Amino acid sequence: MTAMLPALSVLFAVFAAAVPWGLPADATFILPLVVVMMVFCWRALPGTALPPYLAMLLGLLTDLTSGGPLGFWALMCLIAATAGGRAPSLTDGRDVRRLWLVWTGVASLAAAIGWLLASLYFLRWIDWWPIAFGALASVVLFPVVLHGVLWIRRGRLLPERTALYRRWT
Amino acid sequence: MRGRTSPFKPRPRRSWRAPGELLNFTLYFLCAVLLVLSRIGHDAVVDVRDRFVDLTAPLLEAASVPAIMGRHALDRVRSYAGLADEIDRLKAENQQLKQYEWRAKLLERNVAQLRSLLNAVDEPALHYMTGSVIADARGPFLRSALINLGRDQGVRIGYAVINGDGLIGRTVDAGASVSRVLLLNDLNSRIPVLVGQGGVRALATGDNGAELRLEFLPPGAALHPGDEVYTSGSDGVLPRGLRVGVVTGSPGALKVRPHAELSSLDVVSVLYFDTPALNSTDPPVVSAERPLSPASPADAEEPPAVPTAASETVPPAPIKHAGAADGAPPSEGMAQAQQ
Repeated sequence: MTAMLPALSVLFAVFAAAVPWGLPADATFILPLVVVMMVFCWRALPGTALPPYLAMLLGLLTDLTSGGPLGFWALMCLIAATAGGRAPSLTDGRDVRRLWLVWTGVASLAAAIGWLLASLYFLRWIDWWPIAFGALASVVLFPVVLHGVLWIRRGRLLPERTALYRRWT
Repeated sequence: MRGRTSPFKPRPRRSWRAPGELLNFTLYFLCAVLLVLSRIGHDAVVDVRDRFVDLTAPLLEAASVPAIMGRHALDRVRSYAGLADEIDRLKAENQQLKQYEWRAKLLERNVAQLRSLLNAVDEPALHYMTGSVIADARGPFLRSALINLGRDQGVRIGYAVINGDGLIGRTVDAGASVSRVLLLNDLNSRIPVLVGQGGVRALATGDNGAELRLEFLPPGAALHPGDEVYTSGSDGVLPRGLRVGVVTGSPGALKVRPHAELSSLDVVSVLYFDTPALNSTDPPVVSAERPLSPASPADAEEPPAVPTAASETVPPAPIKHAGAADGAPPSEGMAQAQQ
């Protein structure tokens, strides 16, 4: 069950992202990015099992529930899984800021690719603002999601948080 | 670059693992292939999507319940916060509406007299069925919503979907028990409309934003902010006269703000409006003998012949349809497609 925890938690997020929360039109990009962010966080945590093919499968589920073209969120999850697997490990650095910085890069890349793909898909330049806003919001929300993932893994947060912010304080 | 230290602590160097890298590359390639297949609308992709949506519909429906309840609770808290102002606003609006009611009754009588003089055919009434939104689309591609009404309830591709405020979109995909509604503000949405009292013809197109653009306006068209926008019905798919929105912006950069709040949809109704255009593109699968557009008021009073399972599952919400027929309760399934 512990081994399935990352996949199950992301699966939960996939369905939660599809639910009508009543977010404004400009904020619709945020929730699927939370799914991508969770994939990144799980992959960055050492000792957890979320292989890229599983990340892609979860991305495909996001595509199916969102009604968008198949492969888009799968690609985003795959990028996040690749980046998360190569990001500085929390165990090595014990520093959340570096991981945050990497996520900023990944979110920017995902936003740029997303905008480009969507423009290619429709053969016209689409509005970049909702995508940029979503990426920006995901950067701001990163610590929250990371803490959530840590809480899911351990069932409690305190020792992890102490370790994470040892250098900050 | 030599001698500069990396800001990141390196992971233990792993040897290049060919199978893993190859698998990653294959997955990226697979994503690209899927995107291309989706773009060309391959049957297999459409089929898989439909099956999946039908399969997960009960799960999404159950998952949407707490979200909708939370949204209602939040709305209630907000309304309590501004209760005094809201009462004042409603009082003023009520006064205005009473005047409109009187004028509307007068006009209704005049219209009825004129119609009888002209021996005009009655406007066709529309059946509708009410359901609720169980999921909405996120991302840069689509503005759509999934509703819990499907082919089992007689829904077909191309039907107009409305809520209490006006038109919200049309069905673009119909599974057994769920349908996908393309919202007005989606990039692919094109609605032929009439604008203002002069009935200027135009096309309201979505751009994934909150407002719609007005295209193909005739040169020299006199439009003003505040003008009402409603469907023209010239596409042969949507009924004429459904409320869409109101013109906003300045001359030269006019847009349409939809009456319906497209980002927080809850209870919606599908209008069963069959046209030759729809019959040729998406033939009905249930009850072909269903009287969809009764011409006489006697027909209009009969309950719809379509299955009513979805209506029963949805609690009767106090929705007022755009130009709903006088005296017809919302959940009985009749609406008048006239303003």
